[in-house]
Amino acid sequence: MRHLVFAAMISLFANVVTQAFERGRIVIYDGVTTQVSESPEAGKDLWVTMADLKRATGFVVKPQGVCREQLCFPLPKDRKAEFVSKKGKVSWFNLTAFARLIKQPVAADEKNAVWYFGPRPDVRDSYITSLDAPDFTLPDASGKMHSLSDFKGKRVLLVTWASW
Amino acid sequence: MIVSVAEDTGGLKDAAPWIAAAKPEYTALIDDKHLVTHLYNMVNVPTAVWINEQGRIVRPNEVAYVDNRYKAMHGIDAAPYLDAIRDWVANGERSAYVMSEQQLQERLKPQSPDRAMADAEFALGEYLYKKGSGPDAIPHFKEAQRLAPDNWNYKRQAWALSDAEKDYGTSFMKEVQKLGGKPYYEPRKLPNKP
Repeated sequence: MRHLVFAAMISLFANVVTQAFERGRIVIYDGVTTQVSESPEAGKDLWVTMADLKRATGFVVKPQGVCREQLCFPLPKDRKAEFVSKKGKVSWFNLTAFARLIKQPVAADEKNAVWYFGPRPDVRDSYITSLDAPDFTLPDASGKMHSLSDFKGKRVLLVTWASW
Repeated sequence: MIVSVAEDTGGLKDAAPWIAAAKPEYTALIDDKHLVTHLYNMVNVPTAVWINEQGRIVRPNEVAYVDNRYKAMHGIDAAPYLDAIRDWVANGERSAYVMSEQQLQERLKPQSPDRAMADAEFALGEYLYKKGSGPDAIPHFKEAQRLAPDNWNYKRQAWALSDAEKDYGTSFMKEVQKLGGKPYYEPRKLPNKP
């Protein structure tokens, strides 16, 4: 009987953990998938805690703006409330409003609670000025990874095809 | 050297049998996130880019058929392109087919906001599809197709992942017929043979 009660408690705990996981939201940023906490803010925008902001994007809110390494995007002073909000002891950041500010495309799926953030235009189109072929790393059929930059020193005919 | 990339959401499962059958002597990669499509602003396959020894683009995206097996359908003769590749192999930067910086910058266009948004929608659709939420992926694939109507990669890949007639009310052949003879690929702009 004691074993049954214990098993029921474990099962209940597992359900609670699963539900908490399911309530979380998924952010895909720079191709990396991160689960973030559900926010108390209503509406379609995605608010994340400052800790989740750093975990999911590498960005940190500083007095001079929203920064990652040497890159800083100042927040418009008269619109700060649009980006930062404090609920109790937790500060939240509106990641979708920030994406709009820096013209980053965002696709969202409310049902599955997934937000996909594409590259900023300056990153996406930088190769047009430099003419440097955008680098990528992909597997071959055996799973071995290859980067385009591995082939520097050789002329490369890059050809795409598909099975469809 | 040749680096081929399979733009296939199905990854190894869909691309590997073709690679095995081709027995390539070149590097054959598999791109299950359409990363190269996004990075190079591509809209169809086969598409090729010429990259020199310094890793710089010297000819941008262009249709790259290397034989005429589908010529009746798209009208593109492979021979001039093969000649151009051979000329580049023989002459490198001195090849008449290598484009100047100015020519390249005239040809390469920044992505439109709609195309950038289409990339994001398509990538989200792929994520949902791979997570087993195929029906939830369809609205995102449709949105990508609406935003980038000339992107055949986004059409054909999405149609291949489900029942195209049932889920999208169309098929590849129906869409080609709708073009009514309008080029299915952007015409190549090769200079005259030197």
